[in-house]
Amino acid sequence: MSQNTDLLTLRSVSKSYGTVPVLHDIDLSVRDGEFLTVLGPSGSGKTTVLRLIGGLEPLTAGEIRLDGQDISRMPINKRPFNTVFQDYALFPHMTVSGNVGYGLSVRHVQRKEIARRVAEALELVQLGRFADRFPAQLSGGQRQRVALARALICQPRLILLDEPLAALDLELRRQMQEFLKSIQREIKTTFLFVTHDQEEAIGMADRICVMQAGHIRQLGTPHELYYKPNCEFVARFFGENNLVAGKLGPVQGEQRPIETALGRLICSISGQPHLKAAPDGASAFAAFRPEALHLADSTDGDNRFSGTIADLAFAGSSTVATITAGADTAAQRLRLRTPSRIDGSALRSGETVSLSFAPHEGHLVLA
Amino acid sequence: MNALPRPSTIFLAVITTLVAVLLYSPLFVPIVSSFFTISHGDVDWSSPTLSTYRALAENHDILAALRTTLIVGLCTVVLSVVSGTLLALYYHGRRSGRSILQFIIFLPFLMPPIISGLALLIFFREIGLERSLLTVVIGHTVFVLAIVYRTVLMRLQSMSRTLVEASYDLGATGWQTFWRIILPNLSSAMVGGAILAFALSFDETMITILVTGTQSTLPVRLWAMMRLGFSPDINALVALILMFTVLLCVLAARFLIPRQMATERS
Amino acid sequence: MSAGVTTQPAERRLSLLVTVLAFALPVIFVLVPLAIFLVYSFFSVDQGTIVYAPTLGNYVRFFTDPIFLPVFWNTIVLCVSVAVICILLAYPAAYFLTTLRGRWRYALLMLLLVPLLMSYVIKIYAIRSILGLNGFLNKALVAIGILQQPSTLFVFNMNAILLTLSLLLIPFAILPIFLSLERIPQTLLRASDDLGASGLQTFLRITLPLSLPGVASAASFVFVLAIGDFLTPQMVGGISGFTFGRILYSQFGTAYNWPFGAALSVALAIVVICAILIGERFGRSRGTSV
Repeated sequence: MSQNTDLLTLRSVSKSYGTVPVLHDIDLSVRDGEFLTVLGPSGSGKTTVLRLIGGLEPLTAGEIRLDGQDISRMPINKRPFNTVFQDYALFPHMTVSGNVGYGLSVRHVQRKEIARRVAEALELVQLGRFADRFPAQLSGGQRQRVALARALICQPRLILLDEPLAALDLELRRQMQEFLKSIQREIKTTFLFVTHDQEEAIGMADRICVMQAGHIRQLGTPHELYYKPNCEFVARFFGENNLVAGKLGPVQGEQRPIETALGRLICSISGQPHLKAAPDGASAFAAFRPEALHLADSTDGDNRFSGTIADLAFAGSSTVATITAGADTAAQRLRLRTPSRIDGSALRSGETVSLSFAPHEGHLVLA
Repeated sequence: MNALPRPSTIFLAVITTLVAVLLYSPLFVPIVSSFFTISHGDVDWSSPTLSTYRALAENHDILAALRTTLIVGLCTVVLSVVSGTLLALYYHGRRSGRSILQFIIFLPFLMPPIISGLALLIFFREIGLERSLLTVVIGHTVFVLAIVYRTVLMRLQSMSRTLVEASYDLGATGWQTFWRIILPNLSSAMVGGAILAFALSFDETMITILVTGTQSTLPVRLWAMMRLGFSPDINALVALILMFTVLLCVLAARFLIPRQMATERS
Repeated sequence: MSAGVTTQPAERRLSLLVTVLAFALPVIFVLVPLAIFLVYSFFSVDQGTIVYAPTLGNYVRFFTDPIFLPVFWNTIVLCVSVAVICILLAYPAAYFLTTLRGRWRYALLMLLLVPLLMSYVIKIYAIRSILGLNGFLNKALVAIGILQQPSTLFVFNMNAILLTLSLLLIPFAILPIFLSLERIPQTLLRASDDLGASGLQTFLRITLPLSLPGVASAASFVFVLAIGDFLTPQMVGGISGFTFGRILYSQFGTAYNWPFGAALSVALAIVVICAILIGERFGRSRGTSV
């Protein structure tokens, strides 16, 4: 099982409902065996992508290829994909085993074989004891696992999951995230998981595809998305971030300065050729994470500026300070996150402090 | 409701009791008379008897009418459930033309039966269809169709669209999806609709009188007999029909409440 | 069904069939008969055969003949009275139901609705025997001394029709009123109590206005059912209890004048449509915007 071969490719896929476009020219490759999460706010078109792949909706333009073969026009019931629906869509008139075995039974698999594989699938999702229950007699988490067993029993090439955890409470959602991930590792099937919850995405995905307004904004590992967002939307949407607007200065090797209301900030551009290519004076943002910002000491030369602590919030393992920095006319609100200490924070509300972040922990996004 | 002062509650309870008595007294009369003989308007409480039931068993005229009613009822149920379900499936999720055709389906139920009945009477005459049990069945079906249609449509609307999608997604064909997913989920609504349709058909009198041929259903037969006065065995029949109707009501209530609601524990 | 599913030829043929049926059934068995009926009202009868030539004669006769308009009017008054009686009895009963809790509420509602499904002809027969000279009503009235001797006041006349129809149709009034009362949010009533209103004030100023839509639907419901009934008047009305429904029905029986009967039906249909529209107009609750 190589993660480098593409299982499924979307090429210039567009979708409109009537005259309302929901997807614009999407290109996306899903690698064989990976856990790919499509992340986006509601209305970003992420569910539509999933429905197009599953065959629940026809494409308006473009094509979908499976192993290089065009399947755009293949009917939904012929596609080797199965879906876990947001509302689970369990058949209320069938028992758990009836539900799980449905995909085999409609293909006229022999009864004995169905029974064996249903038992196996239920064992996998740890629901062996519930085979004869009806969906209405199960809890949310159990229904979720039935839906998963039902989707994977036909050994699909790809399992599509449409915000399957949205209806669960926080604790259960955490458990189910781990559970899904471990199942995916065990059966080595490709998962395409749609969610609007970025924490969920970071925790589970091999790669994340961030969508907004019908466009794919960035596709990469959680680490790449977190540390090298390629646009303002991803930088803001994906985790907490400080963004300071400014104009780009001339490239200095793997770094580039940006003139902002906080002065000249130097940020890393390593591995991001488009930032190197951007013209001098172009509008951009300096982006640095709250945990990268710290109280400046004598060793800090670059990226120094002063700010006033407006508010301090204790958040368990860390403490978050809200800071007002820069001149009154262009005041910036920044966040600083430090590990909490048992003897209280070194920071005081109302205090004016000198702040800094290391150039290699700052990055740039074009406006 | 808010807590009412006692006198008003008592007043309301009295009126409600009065209404219940008024509603049930017409039902009470034939039941009592089926077990006791009545002479000159006085019930002879001293001698309960089942003779009326024995006489009923020998009244071939009435039994034939009862059989006719059952046949008409069953045919009506089959026709109305099949076509009502088809119409509901067709109009569900379709907007164009739906409201107008839906209105047409509801017309015979909204219009006084005399108008629906007479319209059908003239229609049958114009197309050269003799009045017979067939015309009665058509009349009943047109009358009860709206009820079946509405019952099934409401169930369809409460059914999640993803059920059908999930079935296709798991590899089922259109037929398999229809027989194994859609139909089973509609079945209790269809049974509920069927019971209502049967109950309405069983008691339908006004349309039937207008479109029936020589064979008449029980209500029409009873109506014809009533001018001459009833023989006591009719009371026995009525008592039996009332029991049967109560049974149907209980069944209908059972089937019209969705299964999920009944089994949902949380 | 769903997009993206290419249907088999057999399935496509079936869906075509369903489409045709979906349009044909209602049109053939409802619309066409009603249309023919309307056309018939412009024909006439000559010596027992129908003359298929358009004329307004039937309508002219309806408006000019001294018999029909008064009966028509009396029937409307009768049916309005039936609706009023039904509502006066049904409203307190429906209100009482809403004061009950949970299971009892619906059990009692069911109890009051079940008589609807009981044999119609038998109910009329039983009511007639109760109202009759030897009936329970007379016996009771004599027993408590209101009447000296049994009276024929209650059978084979307009009173009898009024009483019988009211008795038959009460359940049709209970249901809509109950539903509209049940929909009134408890918080409104409690708010009114908090503001210091007495029980009666709360009822008159909050509950009653908010339940009026239900009363309107109930009234139009009962009225339509009453005016369309031709069996009840025939069975309990005797000679003096003559209603529009009976005249209409006789055109298809003894009088044998179908075109004129069709014209009378059109008149009836217009009244019914007006009643339904009025019920709709006032039945659409203002309560939802509160």
